[in-house]
Amino acid sequence: MTGLERLFDLALVVGLPVVALAVLTAKELRAAVALFLSLGLLMALVWARLDAPDVALVEAAVGTGLTGALLLASGLAAPAPPQLPGPLAQRLLLAIGLAGLLGAVGLGVATAGGDPGLRAAVLDNLQRSGVTHPPTAVLLNFRGYDTLLEAIVLLVAAVGVGSLRRERPVAIGPPGPLLLELVRWVVPVLGVVAGYLLWRGSDAPGGAFQAGAILAGGGVLLVLAGKLSAPRLASLRVRALLLAGPVAFLAAAALPLGQGGSLLQYPPAWAKALMLGIEVALAGSIAVVLLMFFPALAPARSGR
Amino acid sequence: MTPWLWFALSAVALFAVGLHGLFSSRQLVRQILAANISASAVLLLLVAFARRAPSGDPDPVPHALVLTGIVVSVSATGVALALARRLRVRPPGSRRR
Amino acid sequence: MDPGSAWLPWAVLIPLGGAMAGLLVGRRGAAPVAAVAALLTVAASLALLVEVWAGPAARHFAGGWRPPLGIQLRADGLAAVVLASLALVGGLVTAFALGEFGRRSRLSGLFFPLWLFGWAALNALVLSADLFNLYVTLELSTLAAVALISLANRGPAFGAAARYLLLAVVGSLSYLVGVALLFALHGTLDLPSLGARLSGGPAVWAGLGLILTGLCLKAALFPLHTWLPGAYQRALGPVAALLSGLLSNAPFYVLLRLWLELGSGPLKLAAGQLLGGLGGAAVIWGSLLALRADRLSSVLAYSSVAQFGYLFLLFQLDTPAAWAAGAFLLISHATAKAALFLAAGTLQRAVGHDRVDGLRGMAGQLPPTIFAIAVSAVGLIGLPPSGAFIAKWVLLRAAAERGQWWPAVVLLGGGLLAAGYCFRFLRELFIPGPQPLRLRKIPAPLQQLATLALAALGLGFGLWPAAPLRLLGVGWP
Repeated sequence: MTGLERLFDLALVVGLPVVALAVLTAKELRAAVALFLSLGLLMALVWARLDAPDVALVEAAVGTGLTGALLLASGLAAPAPPQLPGPLAQRLLLAIGLAGLLGAVGLGVATAGGDPGLRAAVLDNLQRSGVTHPPTAVLLNFRGYDTLLEAIVLLVAAVGVGSLRRERPVAIGPPGPLLLELVRWVVPVLGVVAGYLLWRGSDAPGGAFQAGAILAGGGVLLVLAGKLSAPRLASLRVRALLLAGPVAFLAAAALPLGQGGSLLQYPPAWAKALMLGIEVALAGSIAVVLLMFFPALAPARSGR
Repeated sequence: MTPWLWFALSAVALFAVGLHGLFSSRQLVRQILAANISASAVLLLLVAFARRAPSGDPDPVPHALVLTGIVVSVSATGVALALARRLRVRPPGSRRR
Repeated sequence: MDPGSAWLPWAVLIPLGGAMAGLLVGRRGAAPVAAVAALLTVAASLALLVEVWAGPAARHFAGGWRPPLGIQLRADGLAAVVLASLALVGGLVTAFALGEFGRRSRLSGLFFPLWLFGWAALNALVLSADLFNLYVTLELSTLAAVALISLANRGPAFGAAARYLLLAVVGSLSYLVGVALLFALHGTLDLPSLGARLSGGPAVWAGLGLILTGLCLKAALFPLHTWLPGAYQRALGPVAALLSGLLSNAPFYVLLRLWLELGSGPLKLAAGQLLGGLGGAAVIWGSLLALRADRLSSVLAYSSVAQFGYLFLLFQLDTPAAWAAGAFLLISHATAKAALFLAAGTLQRAVGHDRVDGLRGMAGQLPPTIFAIAVSAVGLIGLPPSGAFIAKWVLLRAAAERGQWWPAVVLLGGGLLAAGYCFRFLRELFIPGPQPLRLRKIPAPLQQLATLALAALGLGFGLWPAAPLRLLGVGWP
């Protein structure tokens, strides 16, 4: 651990809360979102320093990139009204409460000694899991039940958002020539990257969520360019795509149960194939879900 | 002090900043931003804890938990923003806490 | 390796499958699919009940992996009883909803899948024995609830849903920080083994405290209850019934589980006193607000704040008898509230409003629904022969034995206040009106029957308490 590394870490450690404070005190919402994106970049660096590449990928794609885009797209770029300070007593109480919280949790964290964690258990069983990348093994096999429920969380969110949509999409201007060119070049590349991440997920950082997020990004570009219409819950095709991943997951969970095994138990010989199949279906569903989170936009026809 | 502890304490500070933003703002979108920041803080805490062993690979289980957490968080954000869009016709800041 | 009983995962997978099927077939087929799925889910829940009745607590290891690597599902007596009550209340509310939402309406295509997802989440929550898995199920149930509240499709409903979502997320984050601390210290997320290994020290107490705070926020404990009345008042009738009867009880159930299995010592006692104090305040505060409310749904919403307060008294009393009584109280209130919200929704549709002072003379018009209201009120107040009466009696005894005066005062005072606000609307209903009211929408027989059955369930607990009590004893932590 060289001095330079320590300095770098220190910069990150101090920078995070400071930038967060800047996000929340920015006057205009657009500025806040821009700062939020830079916070996300800082976090990606932090994940790299903590040896968490899978987390970095998902955070960059989903946590920062997609969330930031959602915030901007929601068109809520109106200038913030002046923040009326609350009554002094309330603010004081809040400050005291938070200070107490900080102290208590900080103390807890500092004295949280050391259980070695589950790394050994994971590595011991890795061979039987069917993949070689530990986080993937945990996500899709050891704790696959959590991931199944998580896929349902996405599905429920999609239904919720779909039910909240107004009937007519928002009309926006026609796509400019730059956007159309961008779409022509970038979207296929996104597709390849997504496919690569999906394939590599079994022995390197990657997997369904990252791939799905990237596909969703491509989808957003296509919608903005008018090549794809925003997905609506009323369409049977959209619902089928949404359900593809969860249904595959559910089937993989229920079949072993029917044969006397346990929930989501993969026969060792088939484990890798099953997990990959689930991930492929899931990536498609995730892409549609994330695309649905965006407000429905209908760019005017640009005329060919 | 070891680096993981620095990051863990930074996470605690980040969490507090997010909470403060959540309870001191009246605008739904800002509250969503604040909630996201606090969520990132919690995930940072988990990953920092996973990195306690001074050498070798980190504990993969918290990484998987964090991945799940990010997805859950973005789902909640998506729904919250959809609600915010429907509420937009009301003048901002008029919602009672 | 024996994976354990299969009924546990089936109780989760069946409603999931039903929800997905309902979503796929859209508005035309959602209702029949939901009816089938509901029946199957009830069957699976009862099958699990039978299995737990006979022998030791049932378990299931997801993926065949044992904890701490994998996730464990567990069904002891408490879980089985709560699961069964979920099934019965959920099933009856589904029956009501089948009558309420028109066959091909847009609402039908959304309500049934969302509710079935919520049901799956609740079953998964009740059966889970893993701290992080509990977090995921809590989030799933919250999102389903938020989506259900938004179905009311009006501005105030959206506002209430947004507030609920934000506060629920804050609660979940607090919970997660606590879980992170506990995992860092003990290396396991599995509840049973964590209970055995739990050490002391500031980190553990900070973690437990954070988990507690997060769950109290989600359970709407006074003074963190402000999000609840808005959500209940603005949701559709069946949604409010589901919220009050089932979805809002989920965080409390998690809290109960953790309390029973983790921690001990003077700090826990102190926490119990605090929770009991706040719970009592909730009872008084909620009941007073209910007395003054002008709409029936508002009365019921504030009454729910009070009801959840009763449950927190249990932490102060903390004896096995008190916990059993608490389970009774939980279920009794759940059935009564669900029935009342359904009935309130029926009245609202029938006369176009639910102002308490405008309900004069309804008694003659919708006899089964009005009768259900009366029976449920008996359960709310805690009069014999309802299950709530037995529960409160046991709790009073426990409080007297331990010399705790606050719970006793709250129990008695709360009952009086409940009598006050219940008689207020009962009186209006039974006074003959100036002229026969013209009804705008007459509820289907199925709806009135379902409401009545729900109310009767609450009584059933009071009339036959022995069986549930014996079941609760199985595998008690």
